[in-house]
Amino acid sequence: MLEFRKLTKEFNGKRAVSDVTLSIPAGQMVGVIGRSGAGKSTLLRMINRLNDASSGQLLHEGREITALTGRDLRQWRNECAMVFQQFNLVGRLNVLTNVMSGRLFHHGFGTSMLGLFSARERAFAIRALDRLGMAHVALQQTDTLSGGQQQRVAIARALVQEPKILLADEPIASLDPLNAKIVMDALRAINTEDGLTVICNLHTLDTARHYCDRIIGMQDGRVVFDGTAAQLTDRMAREIYGAEAAEAFNEALTSTSLGGARPAPAVVAV
Amino acid sequence: MALTLTMPPVQPGQDAVALFEAHRAAIRRQKLTANLLLLGGFLVMLFWSIDVSRFWPESLIAGVPRIFEYFGSVMPTLQWDLLFAGANAEGRFPQGSIGFWYNDFWTYLSLIWETILMAITSTLIATALAVVLSFLAARNLTPAPWVGVVARRFLEFCRGVPEILFALVFVFAVGIGPLAGILAITIHATGALGKLFSEVNENASMRPVDGLTAVGGTWAQRMRYGVLPQVLPNFTSYALWRFEINVRAAAVVGFVGGGGIGQELNHVISFYSDDRVTAVLILVVLTVTLIDLVSERARHALIGKESLK
Ligand SMILES: Nc1ncnc2c1ncn2[C@@H]1O[C@H](COP(=O)(O)OP(=O)(O)OP(=O)(O)O)[C@@H](O)[C@H]1O
Ligand SMILES: [Mg+2]
Repeated sequence: MLEFRKLTKEFNGKRAVSDVTLSIPAGQMVGVIGRSGAGKSTLLRMINRLNDASSGQLLHEGREITALTGRDLRQWRNECAMVFQQFNLVGRLNVLTNVMSGRLFHHGFGTSMLGLFSARERAFAIRALDRLGMAHVALQQTDTLSGGQQQRVAIARALVQEPKILLADEPIASLDPLNAKIVMDALRAINTEDGLTVICNLHTLDTARHYCDRIIGMQDGRVVFDGTAAQLTDRMAREIYGAEAAEAFNEALTSTSLGGARPAPAVVAV
Repeated sequence: MALTLTMPPVQPGQDAVALFEAHRAAIRRQKLTANLLLLGGFLVMLFWSIDVSRFWPESLIAGVPRIFEYFGSVMPTLQWDLLFAGANAEGRFPQGSIGFWYNDFWTYLSLIWETILMAITSTLIATALAVVLSFLAARNLTPAPWVGVVARRFLEFCRGVPEILFALVFVFAVGIGPLAGILAITIHATGALGKLFSEVNENASMRPVDGLTAVGGTWAQRMRYGVLPQVLPNFTSYALWRFEINVRAAAVVGFVGGGGIGQELNHVISFYSDDRVTAVLILVVLTVTLIDLVSERARHALIGKESLK
């Protein structure tokens, strides 16, 4: 259970996230929607403390996340993996090393500086890659891959962290519809098969409706909607997106290819 | 009155072209004045520096022949017929042969080798130190602002003091010999490379670093995995370039007792001032040129490989 208590973030006196109070039970797949600048990224980045809250608290299983420092903080980050819109992989390293970097928390100074990973870790990384249909490019330099492939590598890196929570900040915003579907299917499969909590910022309404158990709508840093996809009426959605409604709905149209009957399993042919 | 490039809006009834031409002329006049002022300032500084350095035609005319005079006195006397003559029974070469001129050839060569080793050692150590310091000093990467300030000031100090000064201090501290020279060159090169490296670091993408923070990586792990792979080609190229400079520096620190060929050059200049000076000088110039050429090739190959990607 992840509990937000009046969580607030200010940048230079301007509120990006304002008094957010929520609780997210373990194993839920949550989609966060809202127009650009609504505070979705900031909210997500406060969970793994890439951004520090200005006030309020965040608790996980009763542990106060907002108060963690040093090794405890790094351990928490290891427990809640993150996937980024721009993948945030190290382009010049090969795919395997990128995935194994998900194990860095378990390494001391010496082995990590020398890049010594064990055969077990290698096997673990290859299995994670294989699950996303990416094992065949394990030794390729990462920046030679397409965006969709890189995002799958990023998800594999997240998996080898053996996290409890997976945060995804607009994971499909830079992908074409087919790759977007592959990535969203993978996230959904991780949620259902591994029981991970998945919190996902999404720009398109349709994707959120299709994949998420629960949708949280944000506007100007506040949570203005919290419910199931069925509860999210078109009128409500239009209000959340405001001036961007046309775009959000339009994208929903173009990505109807995403709306298959059921989310497919993560094992994807390449 | 300072004019801006934007001209006032065209009012109804005004001719846009005429207005524009007037504006353009005014701006050109303003630029001309600024350029004339700049030229005046430049001329003042030029004549001032000529006066200070006594860069007068007379002293030049008087000095140039003296340079030739000196080189005349250190030129070897070579005789065509004896040029490649071998050593006699006592192992001595006849005067006028290359063998006589380069009687101490193997001493020179071993000293040049020592000079190159000094340059290699100091470049390697300086590069390692500079890598670590550049991560501490880079504004986007420093673990804490005060660490960045301290690292930057330290690097400034290291490169601000010339090698020769460090060498003097270390000759006093650890005695005459290559160790003093290596220490001196290492410190100065650390400062110079650290600054260049930290500038490269400041241009590195922070996305991979964010990714590794989210993984739970330590600062050192973020640098090693997130930044180092991005900057490594640039670092290598700068380190090679610094090696070229360090070879020259290693030849100079010998003048104050820092080891290497410089010590021998200083010796032959101050004690003999004969053909041995040219003998050493030619070897030094050849070595430096050769190393510059090889290293430049290596750097271009490195950059070429990069730009193909
Ligand atoms: N590092 C920062 N410094 C200053 N202001 C920031 C910073 N990061 C975010 N903001 C501001 O906080 C607000 C919320 O930004 P945030 O990135 O969380 O929005 P978002 O919902 O993720 O938008 P998008 O859909 O464009 O990614 C915006 O007004 C943004 O300008
Ligand atoms: Mg965002």
